[in-house]
Amino acid sequence: MPRLLIVDDEEDVREFAANFFRRRKIDVITASSGEEALDIVKQQKSDLVLLDIRMSGIDGIETLKCIKELDKNAKVIMITGRRPEEEASFNKCRELGAIDYIHKPLELDELEKMVLKELLN
Amino acid sequence: MAIDYKRELETAAKSMILVHEPSTLIKMIARMIVHKVKVDHAGILLHDKERDTYVLTVSRGTTGLKIPAGFARMDADNPLIRFFRQHLDKKLFDDGAIIYENARKLLIRNIGPDAKELLKKAMYQMEIFKASVCIPSYFRDDLLGLLLLGSKGRGRKFSQGEIDFFIALASDVAMAIRNAQLFRDLELELQEKQSLFIHITIALAAAIDAKDHYTHGHTARVTALSLEIAKKLSDNNKKRFDDKFFELLHIASLLHDIGKIGVPESILNKEGPLNEEEKKKMQEHPVLGTAILQPIKELKDAILGVKYHHERYDGSGYPEGLEGKQIPLVAAIISAADSFDAMTTDRPYRSRLSKEEAIKEIQMESGKQFDPHVVNALIELYRENKI
Repeated sequence: MPRLLIVDDEEDVREFAANFFRRRKIDVITASSGEEALDIVKQQKSDLVLLDIRMSGIDGIETLKCIKELDKNAKVIMITGRRPEEEASFNKCRELGAIDYIHKPLELDELEKMVLKELLN
Repeated sequence: MAIDYKRELETAAKSMILVHEPSTLIKMIARMIVHKVKVDHAGILLHDKERDTYVLTVSRGTTGLKIPAGFARMDADNPLIRFFRQHLDKKLFDDGAIIYENARKLLIRNIGPDAKELLKKAMYQMEIFKASVCIPSYFRDDLLGLLLLGSKGRGRKFSQGEIDFFIALASDVAMAIRNAQLFRDLELELQEKQSLFIHITIALAAAIDAKDHYTHGHTARVTALSLEIAKKLSDNNKKRFDDKFFELLHIASLLHDIGKIGVPESILNKEGPLNEEEKKKMQEHPVLGTAILQPIKELKDAILGVKYHHERYDGSGYPEGLEGKQIPLVAAIISAADSFDAMTTDRPYRSRLSKEEAIKEIQMESGKQFDPHVVNALIELYRENKI
């Protein structure tokens, strides 16, 4: 079963997304912070990471950088709110090797397609 | 236990009258649905007009099932939105609500290939949201929002009574949202009108300043000072002045010299003291201003400030020789501010006084030319370095 790591500091988002992908036969692990995500990445391999940019503690961009240092082939999709000041962070995420990003509020089937495309191919 | 839906609806309707903020109202409704009908989750998508998209704004229910507010949206091309916007709901379902179970039965019937295709896709959207019921909220023909409901515990079905209850709620919500929007639009329009009015007044005031070369910027300074004095008086007063008074003073001080439009420029700009005849002409400006503004009924109270800003507290002023408390407060305030500004700016026939000298002079005229309360407020402002 493909494995997806969901990193978000909002419990509702984490739990909803986990539930959503578990129903689609995906093995989901969740982390509530960048720190927790890095611990998980050190221990086990995930096929894809869904990573929120805006988090307390180390933010999504920093987390992305560390994940890539640990595993340069890691596939990461960034999730972000639609705020102009975050436009700049997209480019940064691209440079750091994120494969895609998606804006909140998002179309659920778009998220579904984006994630399943990476996991089922 | 059966729920008395009629009573719940009445309660909801009452809250809608009390709560004007649509977002609060919608939250209340989602909470009520989850508690009373015991649905595992309920979400409400609201139309964002600007982006033409429907955003999940309110969500209630079990963690893991409820979709966090602000997380999801449906664009105009989303099949579920298209389904309702094309009015297939009314064609395929009597009451307009999509009940997932019933919709599935429709798929094997002959409803036309296009409708079937769209219904299928719409149902897939409901699956994604784990919704077993989807209820549209319309105002006239506009789809304002969608109410998405999860399932009831232990696989139980919704009764028709419950569905009717949701539909009634959804239409009430649409009405409430619409009302709130109209209310906001009206407020905006009112603000725009007020701002237009003030700007036109400022333009009129600029017309006077343009004619009177020596008093450049005078109107703006008198207006600012008058408002400061009024603030001070209001702070010192037992009862604060209301916004209306400030508005009135604002307009009156902007227009206090409008009558100078009718005074020949040769007099306004004369280098040196005026002779008796010229003085008489100059002294007509409050009455001229009053005549100019008279047709504007809405300015009735502000006109008092224009007409009487050259009256003196001891009764020796013009045009009517009013004294003491007969002089409207607006006029008394403008009078002091006007004199203070005249003293502290250069004129062709004399150079200006320092602020300290001007304050001293005004203080000496307290109870003679000026209202003592106004003088005190002006002195306080000076001592506090606010002027």
